[in-house]
Amino acid sequence: MSIITIEDLKKSYRDSEVAVKALNGINLTFDQGEFAAIVGPSGSGKTTLLNMVGGLDKPDSGSILIGEVDVAKLNSRKLIDFRLHNIGFVFQSYNLIPVLTAFENVEFIMNLQGVKREKRQKRAVELLEAVGLGERIHSRPSKLSGGQQQRVAVARALASRPRFILADEPTANLDSVSTRNLLDIMEKLNHEEKITFIFSTHDKRVVDKAHRVIVLEDGIVVKDEKVKI
Amino acid sequence: MIWIIAWKNIWRNKVRSLVVVMAIAFGLLGGVFSSAVLKGTGDQRVREGVSRETSHLQIHKPAFAEDNDVRYVIDGDRKTLVAVLDTIKFIEAWSPRVKFMAMAGSANAGTGVMVMGIDPEKERRVTDIHSLICDSCGSWFKEGKGMQVVVGQALAKKLKVHLNSKIILTFQDMQGNLTGGAFRICGIYRTSNSVFDEMNIFVNRTDITPLLAADIGACHEIAIRLKDAGMTDRVQQTIRKLFPSILIQNWKEIDPLLGMMNDFMDLWLYLFMGIILLALGFGIINTMLMAILERTRELGMLAAIGMNKQKIFSLIMLESVFLSLTGGIIGIIMGVLLTLYTNHTGINLGSLTEGFEKIGYNPILYPSLNIIYFINLTLMVVATGILASVYPARRALKLHPAEAIRNE
Repeated sequence: MSIITIEDLKKSYRDSEVAVKALNGINLTFDQGEFAAIVGPSGSGKTTLLNMVGGLDKPDSGSILIGEVDVAKLNSRKLIDFRLHNIGFVFQSYNLIPVLTAFENVEFIMNLQGVKREKRQKRAVELLEAVGLGERIHSRPSKLSGGQQQRVAVARALASRPRFILADEPTANLDSVSTRNLLDIMEKLNHEEKITFIFSTHDKRVVDKAHRVIVLEDGIVVKDEKVKI
Repeated sequence: MIWIIAWKNIWRNKVRSLVVVMAIAFGLLGGVFSSAVLKGTGDQRVREGVSRETSHLQIHKPAFAEDNDVRYVIDGDRKTLVAVLDTIKFIEAWSPRVKFMAMAGSANAGTGVMVMGIDPEKERRVTDIHSLICDSCGSWFKEGKGMQVVVGQALAKKLKVHLNSKIILTFQDMQGNLTGGAFRICGIYRTSNSVFDEMNIFVNRTDITPLLAADIGACHEIAIRLKDAGMTDRVQQTIRKLFPSILIQNWKEIDPLLGMMNDFMDLWLYLFMGIILLALGFGIINTMLMAILERTRELGMLAAIGMNKQKIFSLIMLESVFLSLTGGIIGIIMGVLLTLYTNHTGINLGSLTEGFEKIGYNPILYPSLNIIYFINLTLMVVATGILASVYPARRALKLHPAEAIRNE
């Protein structure tokens, strides 16, 4: 069953006086439990597409149905609330709150959702253990390696129980060991918990792990293939 | 949790935050102490003015208040009036006075003075002039010592007289005849107001009424001291209702300058602190703007994961309030300690004594402030923090999450 349906999505930006077509009619669907990578050269529209699906930016035309909701039509207030309850984000630069511990970073998003203290604390510990950071829950981001920080970011993204997780170049700043660890954790979560992951990436190691690879060029899908596992 | 993040955020750049905190702290220390000096000086002047010059209330015949003519004694049923004064529970004491202008002369000089013919025992319960006669300067009136006068030090100096010297008072009696008498100086007082000291002399009412050709018991003025200054208006209204033909004035009406000082001092202090906080507010705005600029990506991330605008605004506002309040509380505590210390020791403006006394101020200042001022000041600091956060918070809310996340 598809959880995301993208129809004829178009977006252009003005660069000086020239209009640049970042997305030029994208049609895609994503099913529950997918582990998909969006690849393509720089400027192909990967990040723009992820921003549209994540409700961080508005398309010029087309629709993005997440479940029954067209996120392109939500106003700013509803969109923030929708993101909080439906979408998990993992960013290239980790983007953890530096003054909070790993535990507090994971707990914070549940605090925004209004989850009760006991419940959110229990879940934060469970998630950090699931990403292999059970021993580092009280460490601040500055005391963690890049790979560990990105695992905290994955735990934070999962904390809100989203319908899917969008990861924008999650391994771009990681070494190969950290990348392998992170991908193993995400693959395990996908396999065991049926968590849907959608990546934008340049990283071949991510592409190799993906179960579906979507290739974008000049704002259009030029290839969309499922990999047999 | 937002409170915790806000508190931790202000210590991310310790040096920058400490600089702002110290600027606020020392700004408020200066403001609080200056306010305490002003307030203490003003209160002292009002206190001394009321206890030495005006008392809380004064009763006159209306015409006397207009031209101080010696003929305008309080008439009607004086006995009923003073009997009523004795029954009003808020009145601590009252003192009848004969009051008129005279020429005071010594062998060396002469000058105009205001003669206060008083009942010594009643007067000492209303004013504290009797306590301002130093040990070597004689004493308040003693019975059986003839015609005595208590003069101010400034007058004694001007007339070049000293204790036990005689001075001649010349004045008009109630029939308009020129009359006078010789009085021996039994005491020399000194207040903090040299103009008052030079102008006012005290004689026994029983000595002066025969010279004035007035009835025994005649008086131009009844000065009233209350147990609680807060009851002034109430007692004034009561007496006014009972005796509509007499003029009863409170100390603010008698000495409008004193009243204005009392009424406008608080307003002035808040205005003064408001200006200091306004200046500090710009410092806070600058710090918060820098903090937001440095945290663009983080704020973008917070918006992206679902932190709504109200919460982002609250976060920035709390940081600004915490920053202001930390500096504010340190500054207020330092200000309170300095005020308490100097209130205990006093600040002696020795070299400025003469100048201060000429304008009626005590040259030893006792800074003081009341608790309400500190509560209001704390609220003003919080308000400054909130107002200073508005512009930076609006800047934060205008960030586009997708762009902010990619900010380097």
